[in-house]
Amino acid sequence: MSVRSESSPRSLSGARHRATRPATFASRSSGAERRRRRHRRTQLVIQLVLGLLVFVGLFPFLFMLITSFKTNQQYYESWWLPTLPLHVENYARAWNQIQPYFVTSITVAAISILGSLALCTIAAFVFARYAFVGRKVLFGLVAALLMVPGIASLIPMFVLMRDLGLLNTRIVLAIPHIVGGAVLGTLLLKTFVEQIPQELFDAARVDGAGGPRMFVSIMLPLSLPVVGTIALVTVIGVWNDFFWPLLTVTENHLRTVSAGLQFFQTQNATEYGPLFAGYAIASIPLLLLFVFLSKYFLAGLQGGLPGAGTR
Amino acid sequence: MRTWRKRFPWYAYVALLPLFATLAVFAYYPAASGIWFSFYEWRPGFESVFIGLDNYRTMLTDDLWWKSFRNLGIIFAFGVTIAWALPLLAAELVISLDSKRAQFIFRTLLIAPMAFPGVVTALLWGAMYEPNNGVINRVLRSVGLETLAQNWLGDPRYALLSLLFIGFPFVAGLPFLVFLSALQNVPSEIFEAAALDGCGRLRRLWVIDLPLMASQIKLLVFLATISVLQYGFAAYLLTGGGPDNATQVPVLRMLGVAFQGSDWGYAAALSTTLFVMTIALSIVIVYVRREDRTDVRPL
Repeated sequence: MSVRSESSPRSLSGARHRATRPATFASRSSGAERRRRRHRRTQLVIQLVLGLLVFVGLFPFLFMLITSFKTNQQYYESWWLPTLPLHVENYARAWNQIQPYFVTSITVAAISILGSLALCTIAAFVFARYAFVGRKVLFGLVAALLMVPGIASLIPMFVLMRDLGLLNTRIVLAIPHIVGGAVLGTLLLKTFVEQIPQELFDAARVDGAGGPRMFVSIMLPLSLPVVGTIALVTVIGVWNDFFWPLLTVTENHLRTVSAGLQFFQTQNATEYGPLFAGYAIASIPLLLLFVFLSKYFLAGLQGGLPGAGTR
Repeated sequence: MRTWRKRFPWYAYVALLPLFATLAVFAYYPAASGIWFSFYEWRPGFESVFIGLDNYRTMLTDDLWWKSFRNLGIIFAFGVTIAWALPLLAAELVISLDSKRAQFIFRTLLIAPMAFPGVVTALLWGAMYEPNNGVINRVLRSVGLETLAQNWLGDPRYALLSLLFIGFPFVAGLPFLVFLSALQNVPSEIFEAAALDGCGRLRRLWVIDLPLMASQIKLLVFLATISVLQYGFAAYLLTGGGPDNATQVPVLRMLGVAFQGSDWGYAAALSTTLFVMTIALSIVIVYVRREDRTDVRPL
């Protein structure tokens, strides 16, 4: 892996010249010098272009951050430079309105994680470690659900929830995520648990451990990385879910962050400072997860591919 | 007796019961009832009347529904061309960096926008598109391009394009990560050999990088087809399908029929249609992936 950095053709030729330089004549060495300089310039250009892409990509968020400290007056005077004084009270105002959405989103995320993990860890363990008639068919039934797009069952799901009298509760917000997390989790975990060496389980069996004991003492501790990924995917899903909370919840304090922000936007549409402060606050949790758990974040993102678990 | 117990261990089935009970109620049943009631004049809570294929017949003559698919076509075409060119460029540039550290830093910064909630991104772009105070028109005016300033989301000519440009330069997303990891997995000998043969960078992209990524690109195309069928959230937030239905998409049409029109049976028919399309595409994916494994091996 360490040679990867020299894989680009230019860097390779550069390295070769550098290596042979002490043995060559002065005139040749100046050619190498020129080549090295050109190589360095190429690298600089690449970094500049990438820097530009980074800037354009992050610009809306920079703009959000800068504007969130302004009053409308300050925004009209200078829409892009930070201006003093910083109006930190925008954040206090936004927080007052957004705080209930936070509570809901976090509660729903917690319920969803616990629910889906409870379902999928056990199921994955059984699918991966037990032989029984119908194992393949049952697993296929779970895997098939990965193909069912959430949006396609939105209407019947809504009617079902209304019939069950679950509208305007936190449970109704969590249910699709419990189901989705359980399906994805079963697939990912089953693949993972199958790769745990059989010797571990044999040794435990010799020591007198039964199925439940092996589940708790061997499988769960070993599969923590996958469990973490599933939890993270679920949090991101809950945080970004939009149509479901929009349709199933009408009481303001039960709105999740994503659905609440839309309402918040219509309330504050004319005041940029508090509006953008609210957007900034709503972004913080996922940003923190991204910064501290970026490995899991990416694994979750790519593990979310249908069929990725079979790779 | 013992073999019977071994083949049907009751505890295995019991352990699977919670999962399947949940899935039965909240996954299989809704999917099935959606299909079932698409043949009814569905009146939840009251008696529904069987009307056969009437809902589907209505769908065939629903201009708005088909117009929304035309928009999806545009969204898809844009999504797999322009919205992939920049991630590909970014991936090529990142792997061309000498220093591992720089590669890591740029990759992280490039995908950082993904860490923001989708609603925030969409609303921020909505604010930037705002005709009077939005950043885009302000920039255009301040550099003297007053004539280019538009009512981006309010003008039927530009609304769809404006929606598509949300998230520009599109690097923060799955395609970039797939391109990047595909390029990083190419054995460096291949690039070295190409360089020794005097293969330029653009030529290398065409004759080496893209062919080597073919299977990943194929997968991305199919994923894009499926996800485009679910497109609707940015349109709902920023334009609501308007102006003049210029940004109408199937999902919005379906929700409109159900929640504004209260025509649940028809909405179920629309949702079943979307569902069948997605399933069909997913099956294609499965086959493409299977085929992949065989034609990737020889490498």
